[in-house]
Amino acid sequence: MTGPTWGSARSAEQLEQRVSVEADGTVVIRSGKVEYGQGIRTGFAAIVAEELDVSMDQMRVVLGETDQVPWDMGTFGSMSTAVDGQQVRAAASYARTVLLERAAARWGVAVAQIDTKNGCVVGPGGRSISYQELTAGAPLTGVVPQGPPNSRSRATMVDSPRRLEARGIVTGSIQYPADVRLPGMLRGYALHGASPGARLVGLDDRDAREMPGVVAVVRDQDFVGVVARRDEQALAAARALDARWDSEPPKAAGLTDVLLRRDADVEFAFARASLKLVATYHVPHIAHGSIGPSAAVADVRDGGTDLYVATQRPFAMRDAVAKLLGQSVERVRIHPQAMSGLYGRGNSGDAAIDAARLSAAVRRPVLVQWTREDEFRLSPHRPELDAELQAAVDSSGAIVGWRSEIRTNPHTYGDGPGSDTMVAMTSGRNAVPPYRLGRADVLLHVAPGRVRTGAFRSLAAAPNVFASESFIDELARASHQDPMAFRLRHVEDARLRAVLEIVRERSEWDSRARIDGRGLGVACAVYHGTYVAEVAEVVVAAGGGVRLTRVWCAVDAGRLVLPDGARNQIEGSVQQSASWTLLEELGVRAGEVTTTTWREYPIATCLDAPQSIDVVFCGDASTPSSGIGEPGSVPIAAAIANAVCDACGARVRRLPLTAAAVDRARKEPA
Amino acid sequence: VTPVDSTVHVRLRVNGEDRDVGVPRGTALLGVLRDDLGLTAARYGCGHGACGSCYAMADGRAVATCMMPVEDAIGKELTTVEGLARSGTLHPVQQAFLDEDAMQCGYCTGGMLISAAALLATNPTPTELQIRTALAAHLCRCGVYGRAIRAVQRAAAGLPR
Repeated sequence: MTGPTWGSARSAEQLEQRVSVEADGTVVIRSGKVEYGQGIRTGFAAIVAEELDVSMDQMRVVLGETDQVPWDMGTFGSMSTAVDGQQVRAAASYARTVLLERAAARWGVAVAQIDTKNGCVVGPGGRSISYQELTAGAPLTGVVPQGPPNSRSRATMVDSPRRLEARGIVTGSIQYPADVRLPGMLRGYALHGASPGARLVGLDDRDAREMPGVVAVVRDQDFVGVVARRDEQALAAARALDARWDSEPPKAAGLTDVLLRRDADVEFAFARASLKLVATYHVPHIAHGSIGPSAAVADVRDGGTDLYVATQRPFAMRDAVAKLLGQSVERVRIHPQAMSGLYGRGNSGDAAIDAARLSAAVRRPVLVQWTREDEFRLSPHRPELDAELQAAVDSSGAIVGWRSEIRTNPHTYGDGPGSDTMVAMTSGRNAVPPYRLGRADVLLHVAPGRVRTGAFRSLAAAPNVFASESFIDELARASHQDPMAFRLRHVEDARLRAVLEIVRERSEWDSRARIDGRGLGVACAVYHGTYVAEVAEVVVAAGGGVRLTRVWCAVDAGRLVLPDGARNQIEGSVQQSASWTLLEELGVRAGEVTTTTWREYPIATCLDAPQSIDVVFCGDASTPSSGIGEPGSVPIAAAIANAVCDACGARVRRLPLTAAAVDRARKEPA
Repeated sequence: VTPVDSTVHVRLRVNGEDRDVGVPRGTALLGVLRDDLGLTAARYGCGHGACGSCYAMADGRAVATCMMPVEDAIGKELTTVEGLARSGTLHPVQQAFLDEDAMQCGYCTGGMLISAAALLATNPTPTELQIRTALAAHLCRCGVYGRAIRAVQRAAAGLPR
């Protein structure tokens, strides 16, 4: 499936692109999305099980295989279930309609007299015919009707089926890119300059060529790598290369200003306010920290190329590799493997590009495994954020004026930051708080980062919400209002109110006994249609060390497809973002990442895990599903920072919330 | 520069079987498991014993195979994730991780299973802190720690007393 057909054209899909029935009755589902632990394979299977009356073990879900699935932009933004899940649902629903019509015609009865049951159409007098019989010699086809599917899904799922990959994960048989073994496969490793666009100006490969196991040293303009028989040999030989790089100065251009909101009379609102506050917040560069560093197998032949990869954008990778190799896109096939959690890391195809170049040179399959050091030094990382926030509060305690000036880096890849709309959607994500703000002015500046930056879980939402939800807390405290009540009085949206009220109750916000050194903090967000509120409980030690002890979350993501899978996503995103908040900051010097190991970049371990993460879903089952993979990671930084302030009076406006930072802030005047 | 003829021939005992391999001297056990024995459940994560993805059991202890030269594994009883299940029956920790859905992407899960199995073999009634400590060697970016702790507790509760 080739040409881009996204946007409005997506709704005119052919059924055969999405659903087919094989001779043995297996129902095949196809989507351009990929699975990296978020559970969409199982989610799509559950959707089809509901719509088409087939059991999940009678299904095969094909994800991201570029020669088999409809074109797709990529798996990001918590949109798989919300958007592609709807396409899958519509296709499965239409497939059922077609099957019912065929059976009705065959039996000479009305469609209203028959039904589907467990992979068959059943009719009057105990008649039954299987889907494979109804499609033998006549595959499912037709244009999937536009508009919402005639969904027959039950209002609430009775059970949350086990993830389809689970058994392979616990037995070890699941296959990530580095586990692919092809006949004649060799191992490759490429060198990269410390900054993107670095030019290779000198190379002495005499020692490397003499190293054990070396098959080839490959140089092509600014690319250099080694192919060897064993992994260790490729790495050792690459380290024996004497390569000299000339780093180009970073491109001067690339600054973009986008006005996200500008109301009239902001000055006037500030002039008549009884309380004015200003504060600045900083969020550092952090790493995706996928536990499995990038790896890929490329098998480049004259007739075509197969790539076994972890990627969030299979079609973009296909196009990039086709261009690199001078092959047509139809001849390049992307085979997504199981993937270590990517969180945005899978939007650039580094190891796959290395593998393709090396395989093209030696005409054998080549596996490339990036090292942990590569992953820290060469990956795109999360942009920094600096926000200066100002607000005006009137004598009744209501916000009447708001100004944000936010500086950050591109959250997308490519040469420039893109159109204003794209910048607003990415780097400006959640920059405008979901409250009645009176007169507001929100300005965003985007400029290249100190290091290579790119997409990261929730894009700019988590950094922006750290700033604005910390500031909201500061406003509440400065105007002597309870932070929860202060939020609620400024919220108009009933769904946002509802999630706040739930965490208020679950955390016993209003009645909890005060203990010195223990604090509660709240934050909330509306992320791509999903409403989330979180309360964090922390204990701050004498030296300033913060321990996250409990978290309460309320989430309205509409209808849930896999309730326990959704719960796992929220728990995990809280755990991951708590780690960003409390522990993480990349070392950067002179435009280069200095961090190379986990020892210099500790992330949360089992010892840091909170005692409990309470998750309540309150979405209406009749509301369409919205995303679940990212929203949970958005409010926690502010919730923790606000809890720290509640516990000990320290307002930390710069992440991470280390013991030293808390101790320093505690000694500062408010 | 390593001499070209530095191959070492070793016999390893892996998952109850003797396996003979010839590999460059000093090769990490992780590479031997993955590339010579076809046991890919131990995974590369960092190469310096800091993430826990590569763990296997050596004489009942959970070890980082990326840090162990293959020569040091000679004479040890090695168990990888592939060897945890016995004749098709999952090990209690495998079953418990399934039952708690204590996984997302699964990259770290094998290492956690190894450490959990090693813990329960010597301490069938661990405290929560002992479980946390045993699993602390395993970095999980997806954040399933709470479920993993519950899974080990579930596995321990189901063990014969």
